[in-house]
Amino acid sequence: MRAFAAGFRLQLRIIRSDPDYFMPLVPVPLFAVAFLAIIEHAGRRDLAEYALMAPVLIALWALSLSASGEIVQGDRWSGTLEPGVASPSSFPAVVLGRVFAVTSVALFAFVEVWIVGRLLFGIPIEIHHPTAFVLTVLASSAAMAGTATIMAALFVLARSARTFQNSLSYPFYVLGGVLVPVSLLPDWLEPLSAGVFLSWSAGLLRDTLQPDAIRDVPLRLGVILGLGVLGFAAGQLLLHRILRRVRTSGELAAA
Amino acid sequence: MPDAVEVEDVTRVFEPRKKKDERVVALDEVSLTIPEGEIHGLLGPNGAGKTTLVKILSTVLLPTSGRARVCGHDVVEETKAVRPLIGIVFGGERGLYWRLTGRQNLEYWGALYRLPPAAVRERTRTLLERVGLADRADQRVEQYSRGMKQRLHLARGLIGDAKVLFLDEPTTGMDPIAGREFRTLIGELKGEGRTILLATHDMVEAETVCDRVTLIDRGKIIATESPRSLGHVISRFQRVDVEGAPEPVLGRIAALEGVSAVTRTEDGGARIEVSEEGATAEVLRRLVDAGVTSVRTSLPSLEEVYVQLIGERGLEV
Ligand SMILES: Nc1ncnc2c1ncn2[C@@H]1O[C@H](COP(=O)(O)OP(=O)(O)O)[C@@H](O)[C@H]1O
Ligand SMILES: [Mg+2]
Repeated sequence: MRAFAAGFRLQLRIIRSDPDYFMPLVPVPLFAVAFLAIIEHAGRRDLAEYALMAPVLIALWALSLSASGEIVQGDRWSGTLEPGVASPSSFPAVVLGRVFAVTSVALFAFVEVWIVGRLLFGIPIEIHHPTAFVLTVLASSAAMAGTATIMAALFVLARSARTFQNSLSYPFYVLGGVLVPVSLLPDWLEPLSAGVFLSWSAGLLRDTLQPDAIRDVPLRLGVILGLGVLGFAAGQLLLHRILRRVRTSGELAAA
Repeated sequence: MPDAVEVEDVTRVFEPRKKKDERVVALDEVSLTIPEGEIHGLLGPNGAGKTTLVKILSTVLLPTSGRARVCGHDVVEETKAVRPLIGIVFGGERGLYWRLTGRQNLEYWGALYRLPPAAVRERTRTLLERVGLADRADQRVEQYSRGMKQRLHLARGLIGDAKVLFLDEPTTGMDPIAGREFRTLIGELKGEGRTILLATHDMVEAETVCDRVTLIDRGKIIATESPRSLGHVISRFQRVDVEGAPEPVLGRIAALEGVSAVTRTEDGGARIEVSEEGATAEVLRRLVDAGVTSVRTSLPSLEEVYVQLIGERGLEV
């Protein structure tokens, strides 16, 4: 737990020292403005939660994956990987703490869209199901962090991961039903989509913003968390592989 | 009580990763024992295998064969027991978070060594003072000079209150004054009962701070020496570089007993090599008597010292 906290704190300090980390938060208000403008123009204010949550989820995904991907890779460049591994703390626990820090910073996007919706469009964002909303945000952050640990490992194992990280994100925005509901996608995409925690998060988040009763909240939260745990397990497995490789080959070689 | 460090027939081979690379035997059946409280030098030229041994002992690299223990704990099997006991200082400027301040760096590493938060802050403060960085503690490391980064490294290695310290070329990049302070610090650490393995290619450093010095070259241990016998060899094989010495004077010096060679250098000067203790003094006297004042003495190269030590023992290289 101390290792997790140390990692969390370290990453917050690193993020604060480097404005580059906030870049994915920059387009959030712009996306929100564009989406809201279209919806207003079409006279479909009832779709406002789509316009508002899409930029948030995109920022959460983009920031978490890119910044998490740099964690182990960055340690490798700065020469902090070996002393980290040689310390008594669990290195994977430190990495997890750092990934969580990144994800929590991404939650700032909620504040951005709230401001845009409220000030520019006079749309009051009403959270009709506050408990479910908070639980969904928490579960989604955890799932995001779990998924992002894969990225932390993948950036080291595959040279190309960094190059593709950006373009790889878009299929997930589609599969995650971030802006367009999954039900509107071609049928054959739906099973794929069900395997992406983002689709469950997006659906549940939007539901908490509207007044109707929400169905299956515990189940849907469970799926989000479960998918997050799967991602986390895969990430840990990869991290352990990396650490073993450090010890046997003497340095981290690209796969 | 087990020895602080025990190395038994450790071999480490780096297999080629690409076809054109060669297989490197970085350590070739190395054995070494360091009793508790000793400052042990590991002296060798670049590529000798020093870093490889330090990495194996600090659990970040596996040996190909052989065994190594720190305070009785196997570095391969019992990493959990070994890691809290050791502190590592790798040379160079790497190993720090440049965007963070010196204090933030130490606080992070302190937390990794599982100190409670209050203890982290306190140790960070005292260590920053100890390595002379107290007034720069809240500046980002990227603004530090090489030597300051090196000192922060030292503090980092000490944050866990390690019983055994592995220092890998810790003074590279330090200015001479910082180097002297470093030696004082090593003395203090010894006074606290810590064991230190100091890997270096600097003969004088090894001679001045170590209790014993192991000479290593191309992965093989050549000898373990007292610093005194190392010092003898170093002073015996000094050399004298002169400028503007008249030919006859050089001729007479070449004939002196204990002078092994006089060679002309490209820039018109000359290098006089000496192979007996005391001969240097005689050479210098002759030069000064002849009115030659542009004189500089320098130490023999590490290779020469090796050749001499091996020669004396009749060992084969
Ligand atoms: N990860 C590695 N892969 C391949 N060869 C290596 C690796 N690390 C070190 N070596 C080789 O092992 C030998 C010893 O290196 P090293 O232990 O770094 O020497 P030193 O620290 O004494 O300069 C050198 O020939 C070096 O090139
Ligand atoms: Mg080295």
